[in-house]
Amino acid sequence: MKAADNDMNCENIKGQLTDWLNHNLTTTDRSEVEKHLIHCLHCQEEFAASRQVWEAMGQMKVPEPSQEMRVQFHAMLDTFKASEKAGHRFSFENLLGKIKSFALPQWSIQLAFSLLLVALGWVIGSKTSRPKIEASTYEQQIDMLAGQVQEMKSTMMLSLIENPSATERLRAVGYTSEITDADERVIEALFATLNNDPNVNVRLVTLEALTQFAKNPAVREGLVKSLAIQDSPMVQVALADVMVKMQEKGSVKALQSLLRKEDLNDLVKNKIEQSIKDLS
Amino acid sequence: MNSLTDNSLMLRVKAGDMDKMGLLFERHHRALFGFFYHMTHQKNTSEDLVQNVFYRMLKYRQTFTGEGEFRTWMYHLARNVLHDSVKQNKTLHHYDVNEMADHLAGGALADEGFEKQQDAEQLHKAMETLSSEHREVLVLSRFQELKYDEIANALNITEGTVKVRVHRALGELKKMFVKNESRR
Ligand SMILES: [Zn+2]
Repeated sequence: MKAADNDMNCENIKGQLTDWLNHNLTTTDRSEVEKHLIHCLHCQEEFAASRQVWEAMGQMKVPEPSQEMRVQFHAMLDTFKASEKAGHRFSFENLLGKIKSFALPQWSIQLAFSLLLVALGWVIGSKTSRPKIEASTYEQQIDMLAGQVQEMKSTMMLSLIENPSATERLRAVGYTSEITDADERVIEALFATLNNDPNVNVRLVTLEALTQFAKNPAVREGLVKSLAIQDSPMVQVALADVMVKMQEKGSVKALQSLLRKEDLNDLVKNKIEQSIKDLS
Repeated sequence: MNSLTDNSLMLRVKAGDMDKMGLLFERHHRALFGFFYHMTHQKNTSEDLVQNVFYRMLKYRQTFTGEGEFRTWMYHLARNVLHDSVKQNKTLHHYDVNEMADHLAGGALADEGFEKQQDAEQLHKAMETLSSEHREVLVLSRFQELKYDEIANALNITEGTVKVRVHRALGELKKMFVKNESRR
């Protein structure tokens, strides 16, 4: 082989050493490079140096991301869902700031929540790695942990719902969609929000959350009572809708007295008259 | 376990089943964290950037077509998130003083890992000197193990450009690394 040919080949090979290292060569090109390396000392040196750097890069340590990341992600997801529902748009910086300001004072809840998730992961892991563990025991463990997660969600919801920021309260209400068995405390907190929250959007989302528990007689009763309290036309209309959907005949009286209210919006008036007709 | 592909999960998110994003988070948050960590060398910043990527996936879910790989789309967003953050403040080329101290303390104490630790330290410094264009292709190729065509799609450049950049980046790193090595 002539020297010039060899030089050109060397340039060509050098251009492919990186591709060899990061597996971007076809098998043919790969063996081509390897064949050349056997004979060419110069390229061998070049390759050894590249490889040294490549391997040293592999030694660079990446720290473990913190456990709170997962909690923050779910908080972000919940808030995102709630805000989409309520028709709000928040910037990410906005969201992150709020989630973080929440995360700091609530660290104990967050930590407990993370630990539960870890425990849940462990139970699932032990199940997959040791198939001998009895299915019933496993299910019991899962049930117990799932119950605790539910409880934790209730706690988070309760701690958030009195937050001064409407976004936080929206998020709190959002948690209830994941609470299957709402206890009295949760229901009570939801009603307090429905009847007193200064923000109409928060009240609307809360109303929607409460209708999930419409089977509960106390909830139905509370919703009827709320008719007399609401002053926003939007919430009044939404409540009237809920009454019709639930076919709550007990609400007719409350709806009638609402009609007698002064400065009742015309739209609302029509809506309520229609609702009374639908119910009787 | 992995019967659902990333693409099908993301298409479900697009269709309104936002909770499917949770699975995508479980699958990819570590890799994304690694990408940002190699780019910024800052743990807290990297965690925020990861959250931002997932937020953008939700917000811009309609732009996911399902034609390309989810991973490519994810790194495309990740790269934009990093870009925007660099524009706002100086995320790159900045060492976290505490983390640096941790590294050094760890290196001095652990006799066995001392050499490797030093290598990693030199490399960290060498990588800081690369342009962000060179650094990103190198990180995507070395640590995220993306193929050239995937990198090309994520960055909107040709495969040929990716190849050239990776090659040059490694070449520069090699020069820097050897220089630093001989200075010991
Ligand atoms: Zn050669």
